[in-house]
Amino acid sequence: MSNKHVTVEKLVKTYPGSSVPSVDHVDFDLEKGEMLALLGPSGCGKTTILRMVAGLITPTSGHIWLNGQDMAQIPVHKRNMGMVFQSYALFPHMSVAENVAFGLEMRGVPRAERADRVERALDLVKLAGYGSRRITQLSGGQQQRCAIARSLVIEPNLLLLDEPLSNLDAKLRDEMRDEIRSIQNRTGVTAIFVTHDQDEALSMADRLAVMSAGKIEQIGTPRQIFDYPATEFVANFIGAGNFFTGRPTGARTAEVEGLGSITIGQDIPADHDARLLVRPHRFTLGAQGPNSFSGTVTHLVYRGETLTLDVEVGARTLKVDLPTHAGALPERGQTVTLSVSPEDITLIGAQQ
Amino acid sequence: MTAVEKKTSRTLLLVLLLPGLLALGISFVAPMLWLLRASFSTSALGGGDGWTLDKYSEILTDPFYWRVAGNTLNYGVTVAIFAVILSYPIALFLARSTSKYRGILTALAIAPLLTSSVVRTYGWMVILGDRGVINSTLQWLTLTDAPLRLSNNQLGATIAMIEILMPYAILAMLSGFGRLNSQLEEAATMLGANRFKVFTRIILPLSLPGVITAALLVFVLAISGFITPRLMGGGRVFVLGTEVFQEATVTLNWPLAAALAVMLLVLFSSVIVVYRRALRALEA
Repeated sequence: MSNKHVTVEKLVKTYPGSSVPSVDHVDFDLEKGEMLALLGPSGCGKTTILRMVAGLITPTSGHIWLNGQDMAQIPVHKRNMGMVFQSYALFPHMSVAENVAFGLEMRGVPRAERADRVERALDLVKLAGYGSRRITQLSGGQQQRCAIARSLVIEPNLLLLDEPLSNLDAKLRDEMRDEIRSIQNRTGVTAIFVTHDQDEALSMADRLAVMSAGKIEQIGTPRQIFDYPATEFVANFIGAGNFFTGRPTGARTAEVEGLGSITIGQDIPADHDARLLVRPHRFTLGAQGPNSFSGTVTHLVYRGETLTLDVEVGARTLKVDLPTHAGALPERGQTVTLSVSPEDITLIGAQQ
Repeated sequence: MTAVEKKTSRTLLLVLLLPGLLALGISFVAPMLWLLRASFSTSALGGGDGWTLDKYSEILTDPFYWRVAGNTLNYGVTVAIFAVILSYPIALFLARSTSKYRGILTALAIAPLLTSSVVRTYGWMVILGDRGVINSTLQWLTLTDAPLRLSNNQLGATIAMIEILMPYAILAMLSGFGRLNSQLEEAATMLGANRFKVFTRIILPLSLPGVITAALLVFVLAISGFITPRLMGGGRVFVLGTEVFQEATVTLNWPLAAALAVMLLVLFSSVIVVYRRALRALEA
């Protein structure tokens, strides 16, 4: 094991009666104070991982280390982890303050200190003065805050969040996203959260683990994941993109059917075809540099900040996002020339 | 909605309610009124024109009926307490189970309701009687010389009634356990609660409304029952149910039977009122 705060090693979970593992040899680690997002479509095993770390599910094999301690022999109630459930799981028969105090009570914290810490926790999540309310008197966002306060007041070694924003409406979601990130920064708590929402993962996490079918496809910073996807699945799951197959013709050139010769910003392995990705907003209007293509605008959506175009180049349709400005913009049926700089063409699976 | 539409919908509502109201009126309200009238009647079969409070004063001044009322309460409370204690683990298991056999197990738990309570009472007579399964086994093992008095007394009537009413208790609890959910237990565990604390702090308080409903249901069914106390009591167990039966079918004193039934109703209603208060206080 390493000296990281959290280390997960060759974690496997195969449910009884299933031949395919739900979680298949997963490795990752977290520095102290880091926030990791487990991102993937539903059924990819991300929640199973979270529940195994929590101890609510027993792994089929593999190890989970926290603070240098193997978690295998530690029962759930002694792991000192905080968990925010998707449904919040607040105790309906207790007040807000009683909910938050529950973990302290279980730890035998004296009454006076308990009250003090509960108050500080409620303060942290901006619920000061709500202590005596019933859970049913809270709005969704307030329940979410209460659940966060309850899991943080015990000063957990690790905070686990299961789809924390999925039960909130869109506006509140953006607000809570920043809020959770700021609370995590202020308390310095190490956190793992599970989500299927790429925006959430990109904007909240220090690092992301993108998962598919029980395996981690790629783990890295939001920038690494977005700009240098290791697999086509990752490239597809995060953001939109144009995908091409290029036959290497030189160190940094490839022949793409329908587009001709393309120059990219990095070396292409000569022995096999390369998969290339261009994000829609990386195209610019006009002929610049080595990569430019002419085509007809077949579809056009004005989105305010951007103009989304389908441009037909030969038999291929390119998805293009252009920034809008006060001057003339392309129109449907018009022939346009698009360019993309070699650095903006991503070689999928290339080492960074 | 316009005024005309509102009127049609109200008429429609009344028309739809009519069959139910009619059935209730004929099968429930009318007999209740007749019962009330009969309890004040001067004639032996409950008819006649006269009104009298004789039967009530007879009941209220006779210590025997006070003992019967006290015994009925005692019987109902004992049966309710034990039926609830014995049913609670079963209901809790069924409510929390994630097994695919849960449906079958639930059906099995309430399957005794498919048999009449008369048949089940006879079953208990076979088990608890002087030459029943338990006593013959004990004597065969020479653990006892004479049979234990397990039937033809209050003990036998209580044991049989507890088992007979358990399916009702289980059903009532299952419907009252709606607030239990496994995530709350997980949340408590994550916060440091061991199994015992999870039970006392989460499961028990959240299941209390179901327990109270079950206790009330069992109590009401127990104090109104007469088949089991009569058969298992061997004529030595006196509860309001058996006395009503006795007066109505053996002594043929219908006004007295009616007055006793009214007393039983009063007993019911007062207990239900107290229980509803308790339940509301609990849920608030």
